Amino acid sequence: MTSDGLHTDLSGADLAHVRGLIESIPASAVVIDKSDLVAFANRKALGLLSQPLQTVLGQPLAGVFGAFLRRVRTKGGPIEQIQFEMFYGTAWYVLQIFHLLTPDGSEPTEYVVITATDISARKRREFDFLEIAAGLEEATRIAQMGTFKIVWGPGQFEWSPHMYTLHGVSPDSYRPGFGSYSSLVHPDDRDYVTRRGEELARGEASANVEYRIVRPDGVVRWVRLDGRVLFDSDGASYASFGTCQDITESKRREEELRELLKRNAILYEALESSPNGVAVLTAESDGLAVLYVNVAFERLTQHNSFSLNAAGLRSLIPESEVESWGRIAQSIDQSVGGDFEAICLRRDASSFPARIEIAPVRDHPAQAASAFVVNLRDLTVEKQRAEIFLKSQKMEALGQLSGGVAHEINNLLQPVIALSDLGVNVLQNDPQKARQYFDVIGNSGRKAREVVRQVLTFARRDTPQLSSLNIVPLVVDSVDFAIKGLPPQIRVESKIEIEHAMALISATQVSQVVLNLLRNSSDAMNGVGHIDVALQRYVVESDAVIGDLAVGSWIKLIVQDHGCGIDSVTLSRVFEPFFTTKPVGRGTGLGLSVVYSIVGGWGGVIKLESEVDKGTSAVIYIPEQT
Amino acid sequence: MAHILLVEDSPEVSLSVREILSAAGHTVDEAATGKQGLERLKASKFDAIVSDIWMPEMDGISFLKEVRGAGNKIPIVVISGGAPNAPLSYTAPLASTFGANVVLYKPFEKEELLGALKSVL
Repeated sequence: MTSDGLHTDLSGADLAHVRGLIESIPASAVVIDKSDLVAFANRKALGLLSQPLQTVLGQPLAGVFGAFLRRVRTKGGPIEQIQFEMFYGTAWYVLQIFHLLTPDGSEPTEYVVITATDISARKRREFDFLEIAAGLEEATRIAQMGTFKIVWGPGQFEWSPHMYTLHGVSPDSYRPGFGSYSSLVHPDDRDYVTRRGEELARGEASANVEYRIVRPDGVVRWVRLDGRVLFDSDGASYASFGTCQDITESKRREEELRELLKRNAILYEALESSPNGVAVLTAESDGLAVLYVNVAFERLTQHNSFSLNAAGLRSLIPESEVESWGRIAQSIDQSVGGDFEAICLRRDASSFPARIEIAPVRDHPAQAASAFVVNLRDLTVEKQRAEIFLKSQKMEALGQLSGGVAHEINNLLQPVIALSDLGVNVLQNDPQKARQYFDVIGNSGRKAREVVRQVLTFARRDTPQLSSLNIVPLVVDSVDFAIKGLPPQIRVESKIEIEHAMALISATQVSQVVLNLLRNSSDAMNGVGHIDVALQRYVVESDAVIGDLAVGSWIKLIVQDHGCGIDSVTLSRVFEPFFTTKPVGRGTGLGLSVVYSIVGGWGGVIKLESEVDKGTSAVIYIPEQT
Repeated sequence: MAHILLVEDSPEVSLSVREILSAAGHTVDEAATGKQGLERLKASKFDAIVSDIWMPEMDGISFLKEVRGAGNKIPIVVISGGAPNAPLSYTAPLASTFGANVVLYKPFEKEELLGALKSVL
């Protein structure tokens, strides 16, 4: 045995060479002889053992080496190429044992080399990972997450049970792998998932991928995969692990939110492009605050929400618009909608007529309004148009009236002129004929007077003095008088069923009403036939009898003809001034509208019932003074 | 002397025109509407027509159209007092357009009517 412990069956040069080799091993290395006594130790090993070479030579192995050797010997069997990791003292080591061969490598010598490498750092990482993994498992269990690990080299997949549930597959029939997983990914997302997977495999980035999967039963779900890369001690990526979560619900909510935002944007644009001014006011403790006004509102009022808030709503609708403010107050207090017309002020103090609609906005039907939508429409042009239209209507009406009056008067003047002329000639020879002429002349004059009176009544629209009168003799006299102006083939049958009935009326008006009604009836029958006139008392005892007649005593005047009747469309218009169906007859178109206005002035009601070809009956109800 | 068809809905006007014509020696047949007028025309032969414009059932313009449309060249004197929705200045030219030989405005003197008839007969 040499001084350094190695046996001398190696030549001096060989011995130095072996020593050099063992010294150059990057790990701690010791050489032991067949008696398990230390024959040599490199500097690293001496450092590990904290002893000088002289102390260890020829001694049994100590420290981690000793512990390792004991374990190897206990296990028995061949000791070639044994390697394992063990914890000793405060560190982890990987230990290897192998025979020292002769320099030419032909046969083993009696020596065995043991190496030890400190792997504490790597072990620590592994433990950390295990710890993380354990925590992760718990977390994922709670979060309904699946976890996975992929070892890239062999393409080995490890899935947690929830991964299977999530993908709708069973561990019995499904083996996770690149190919089998690809078939679970939605076809549209496959390329994307593959690309991101490759990035993960290269260790380029941690992946956070959202994509769709199609479960074997056809159900499509959204999942999010969070992957992390695992690096080995050399800094190379060797595996990935991470979580997988079903995010279908949150995707749906996200989509809904996106849709909602899109809709909001559309609604906003719609409001902005409305030709009407729109403002949204919120109900604050100290009144209404302007939240929003659209472009049209700004254009109309020259105000924006800031200037309006600063100046207050009264700068838009002046205090003097008492009625408008009443409606606004009602809308706010009772959370109800309202619409009204008002003269609004612009910021430059000019004014314009507007229609304002207020609608309450409620968060909940039972709650008071939290906001109000105000719709502002400029009525300037509309008002101008209406005025022009009204004027042109008046002109048209005037033309119609004058045409009608002219026609009536001209027709009545014709017999006056012609018969007075002829009458002079027949006065002596044919007094009977002269009398007939004078009758016709007189009747024509009276009819002309009536036409003029009607026009005046209508034109003046003044209310004559009404007085408390017994209507019965007035109706009787009026009928007698009217008959004189009717064609001779008209027969009037009167049925006066009351003797005394007081009403607030005017005698002239009673005669106008009776005359107009009888003349209409006569015209409806083309001047031939009979007219029924009836005067009755009508008592309303309960509201249910006739909708628009109040409880009380009424005087009922009926004028009924048996003429051509009036169709329902015409019937709805007969009370309009100047409305006439007589392109075929006479008439100013004022008759029934005069009746309507007179009866209305008495507080009465007029009803027309008509059936085509059967006749028409006009029924007038006049409140009786009791 | 002539046989004249008088088409006029107003009884008073009809009476006065009839009296003017008969006093001048003409014979008169009366109709109250254009429709009646057409019936009378079919039934007998007339030398001239005196017709109103604004009448029930068939107005004077339609009556004129019917008469002239049938190729009848009988002299026609139109007497018009205007209409509720059309002044004389409108109805008179209209009557001429549709074949009236003379248009008289009511109220007219008897000489005007007789003169007009004389000019067309």
